[in-house]
Amino acid sequence: MIICPNCGNEELPGALFCKECGTQLTDTARDPTLAIPSSIADQIRQEKPDQVAQNVPPTPNDARLSLFLVDTGEVIPLEGLSEYTLGRSSEDQPILPDVDLASYHAYDYGVSRLHAAIKVSQPNVVLIDFGSANGTQLNGQKLSPNKPYPLTHGDIFTLGKMKIQLLVNR
Amino acid sequence: MQELSYYELLGLPQDATQDEIRRAYRQLVLRLHPDKNANKGETDLFIDVQKAYEYLSDPKKKVDYDHSLPFEHGIQSPLAIKTLYSQSALVNLSEPQLIYVLLELTIKPDTQLWTSSAPLNISLVVDCSTSMRGIRLDTVKSTAIDILRKLQPNDIFSLVKFNDWAELLIDPGNISSLKSAEMKVQLLQAGGGTEIFKGLELGYSQVEQFRSAQRVNHIILITDGRTYGDEAYCERLAEQAETLGIGISALGIGTKWNDKFLDHITSKTGGICKYIPDGGDIHNSIMDEITRLGSNLTEKISINYQLSQSIQLSGIYRLKPDPSSLDIITPLILGYVPHLGLLSVMFEFVITDLPENTSQLTLAKGFLDLEIPRHTVKSRYVHRLQFDRPISIKPGKTAPPAAILDAMTILSVLHLQERAREAMSRGDYSSAAHHMEYLAEHLQNKGEENLAKEVLLEVSYIRNNQSFSEEGQKRIKYGTRSLLLPARIDKD
Repeated sequence: MIICPNCGNEELPGALFCKECGTQLTDTARDPTLAIPSSIADQIRQEKPDQVAQNVPPTPNDARLSLFLVDTGEVIPLEGLSEYTLGRSSEDQPILPDVDLASYHAYDYGVSRLHAAIKVSQPNVVLIDFGSANGTQLNGQKLSPNKPYPLTHGDIFTLGKMKIQLLVNR
Repeated sequence: MQELSYYELLGLPQDATQDEIRRAYRQLVLRLHPDKNANKGETDLFIDVQKAYEYLSDPKKKVDYDHSLPFEHGIQSPLAIKTLYSQSALVNLSEPQLIYVLLELTIKPDTQLWTSSAPLNISLVVDCSTSMRGIRLDTVKSTAIDILRKLQPNDIFSLVKFNDWAELLIDPGNISSLKSAEMKVQLLQAGGGTEIFKGLELGYSQVEQFRSAQRVNHIILITDGRTYGDEAYCERLAEQAETLGIGISALGIGTKWNDKFLDHITSKTGGICKYIPDGGDIHNSIMDEITRLGSNLTEKISINYQLSQSIQLSGIYRLKPDPSSLDIITPLILGYVPHLGLLSVMFEFVITDLPENTSQLTLAKGFLDLEIPRHTVKSRYVHRLQFDRPISIKPGKTAPPAAILDAMTILSVLHLQERAREAMSRGDYSSAAHHMEYLAEHLQNKGEENLAKEVLLEVSYIRNNQSFSEEGQKRIKYGTRSLLLPARIDKD
């Protein structure tokens, strides 16, 4: 399901407009004059994924995989594991995510405590949503929970409303 | 008059398989069987279809028949078909998904086989109930006289007046003198009720009498009121008209007529339904419709389709030339391609289940059937049509084509307005008002400030009176529809 950000109505994946309130549901940025960039982050957001990658500072420590937080411009390297759980830590939570997004305002973005995972089995990378409350989108399309979706360099996925781009450093 | 080939009778291209021949035949038999249709025109059609099937279903006879076909049956269709999809591929999801398909039909510019104008076979069916009295009927009368004077020698024209009963005022077979015909029109008077079926039925029998594939066969209904109790008969008549290639258009004057009902009837035949507001230009609206019928290159385009398993068609919307929601039935009547213009139709498919282990999915397939009365060589063409999409394991990055987004932007506005009507018919006033507010917001964003204001006025009317105002409802409905009509319409 796609949830309309304006009125909360549920639409099927593939829907382009909300039938209840008429809000456009696809991310198209066809008309760049609609939004005036107010920060570098905004500027980056409007550009094509491939261009985003070029504007990004070199990833630290030469990590093979890293996550680029599109809204804030921060980069989180992924190192040493074959599977990374993504989420946010909170009090009295027994299992902590491998990548803790709490310090990046994950709560405000609607990221679940254990939201999704990235699995690396060379040379493939996949993204799995854990049935999170606000869902995960990949390139604008909602993912079915607990199903692996292949990820490649430059893909943008969204945990709740937090936009993250996968960078693969060759 | 040139005979239709057996293939054209069944609505099939010449390379149709035996399976397709059988399917098309069965569908037609169901529609045309004499047990269901006593109408003479349809019985003849039924016999022709029987004969066609007898030949085409027998492989040996089919070969002989194919050889006997004259050369022109191989002539290329003048229709250009463009198909656009909202997604480059379907994604393997565990839940149902939507995909939109936009079909755009145009006439190839290099087509040179037209006669200059198609002769008309038209019946003007005029409501003469009490409410038409005064300027409405006077204008219709002067327009009818105008039409009479402009008729070409080959045109066939009849005029039917109706109120509680119907009367043939101008007999199509016998316009002895223009003067006496004009006199009869002048003497028309209003009074009585509105029994639309009686009028339509009489108009239909006039057009049917002179029906021919080389003519534009059409009924134009002019009314300002509601019909009661005979809606089902009208619907049946429209279906009959459609099988015989007779179109029905309606012009509704003022606010009291039943737009939903007439939309429904006319769209069944590929005709159009127009709203003429109080004080609107009745004369020009009627003349425009006559001109449109005379200049159309194509008369009727229909699609006989079949959906694949686990695919549903959840909506069909015609965007151009006349915005309208179409009935989800097969054969699907699309309407006509306007002169130098575009016929565009949006299909909304719901895919409930993707089959395992395939890389390609056919959403629907069928045949598109094109009637061209003005074509000098051949009056009917059949195209094979198929919508399919590859299946991928992850969502693509490409945005939907601009044409689809543009179309959906406007369709979503039309939807809001329909939703408001639905909510109202359920008695849910606050939801109706809510949808209207969303509608106003979108209209405002599109720069349609006047319409947006009108919608907001309607919202306060709804809040106060718990119903639509008759006038506001129609103005908004046809106002939002007309968003599709301005200059942008034919630029592509």
